[in-house]
Amino acid sequence: MAQGSFDRRRINGPEESFPPVFDAVEEHAKIWSARRDRGDADIRPIFLQPGLISQANGSAYIETARTKLACAVYGPRQSKSTTYSEKGRLNVEVKFAPFSCTRRRAPLRDAEDRSLSVAIHRSIVSSVCLELFPKSTIDVFITIIENDGIEGCIASGSIAASAALADAGIEMLGLVASCSAVVLGDETRLDPTEEEANASDGIVIVACMPALSSITNVWESGRLTANDALKCMEMCQDRCIDIHSVIAQSLSSNNKTA
Amino acid sequence: MASDSLLPGQPVPFPRGPVPSLGNGLYIKEGQVRASLVGVPRYEGSTLTISRVRAHPPAPNSVILGTVTRLSPSQATVSISVVDGVPLPAGEEFTGVIRTRDIRATEKDKVKIGDCFRGGDVVKGVVISLGDARSYYITTARNDLGVIFATSEAGATMEPVSWQEMRCPRTGRIEKRKCAKPENI
Repeated sequence: MAQGSFDRRRINGPEESFPPVFDAVEEHAKIWSARRDRGDADIRPIFLQPGLISQANGSAYIETARTKLACAVYGPRQSKSTTYSEKGRLNVEVKFAPFSCTRRRAPLRDAEDRSLSVAIHRSIVSSVCLELFPKSTIDVFITIIENDGIEGCIASGSIAASAALADAGIEMLGLVASCSAVVLGDETRLDPTEEEANASDGIVIVACMPALSSITNVWESGRLTANDALKCMEMCQDRCIDIHSVIAQSLSSNNKTA
Repeated sequence: MASDSLLPGQPVPFPRGPVPSLGNGLYIKEGQVRASLVGVPRYEGSTLTISRVRAHPPAPNSVILGTVTRLSPSQATVSISVVDGVPLPAGEEFTGVIRTRDIRATEKDKVKIGDCFRGGDVVKGVVISLGDARSYYITTARNDLGVIFATSEAGATMEPVSWQEMRCPRTGRIEKRKCAKPENI
């Protein structure tokens, strides 16, 4: 929040500001409470709609409970780089809206945007036929409108980016589905909220192409035994098949409407 | 083929027998034919294709329309805005270049850029190669390629009167261009 210098390109408010502090009644006692609305192996309901941004070549909007993000695909368009490349290039840019988190995020780019971009890029780059677009770039822009955990943003962002690329008519080997899981003790939960992720021992995010039965990206953090990690990956892969049918249904209905 | 649309990665059902030749929008992985685009596979002749009309980058043998943006003694720089009849979105034009040796098929050594193109002319050409890192190489060395729209110094739209001359309807002045043969002749 505190910036080192005066930003001449924006309206400058106070130098420093802090969010209001509400009473944290019983916050720590109930941080890993039992889920009331779904089971441990359930994911949050997914709303996915391609084709909402008119000026983009392809777009997708996705909601999973309190995670909302919009994705736009531009391209293939001319590469600004002076390097000749026989294959196309895929760029992913992730941006948090300032109002997307409980604590306000400055509009300037920070380190977390970068790590999310890299994770989503790795999830979808192997599914795109980049050899069909020499000397061109495909730009994917993801704006996170509401954030309920970084894991949900990475998983939802991969799903939205894949749907947007299919909506744009980019050749792909398969649709990418992604799911996250957390572990605490002997308990494993799929599709965690921010509170569950903060209280957990370890986090696993898996992105795969269910049509080809292949995994495109695995992202793991925290303290996990090998058995726990493999168990999480298998649970995520099983759930990705369900997510893939959600993507397929929304793309099919959108294609029929068009 | 059924009228069901396929999604990327979805296998294409085939009756037992040889696989037909595959066109755009399909690929083979581990002996299985799969779709790589959203759409309905159809036979075009004997080729199975998922066709989707969308803006795509120029490729060799693409017919392009572009606007001349820069001239130098050896080449003309063109901003490509239409590829194979499909306009590119605004702001996503590609850059092409027409070299003096590619302007016409005859008398290549006597070509002068100033007698063939001016800034702002709309040019029809064919891509001959991917070129270098920045530009595609374009040729107008065919009768039906060249300038299809030009504005005179007086600001009026000129009409082609021969393969290398255009006339201003307002002032009657003749200006030199490498003209494209109109399609309705």
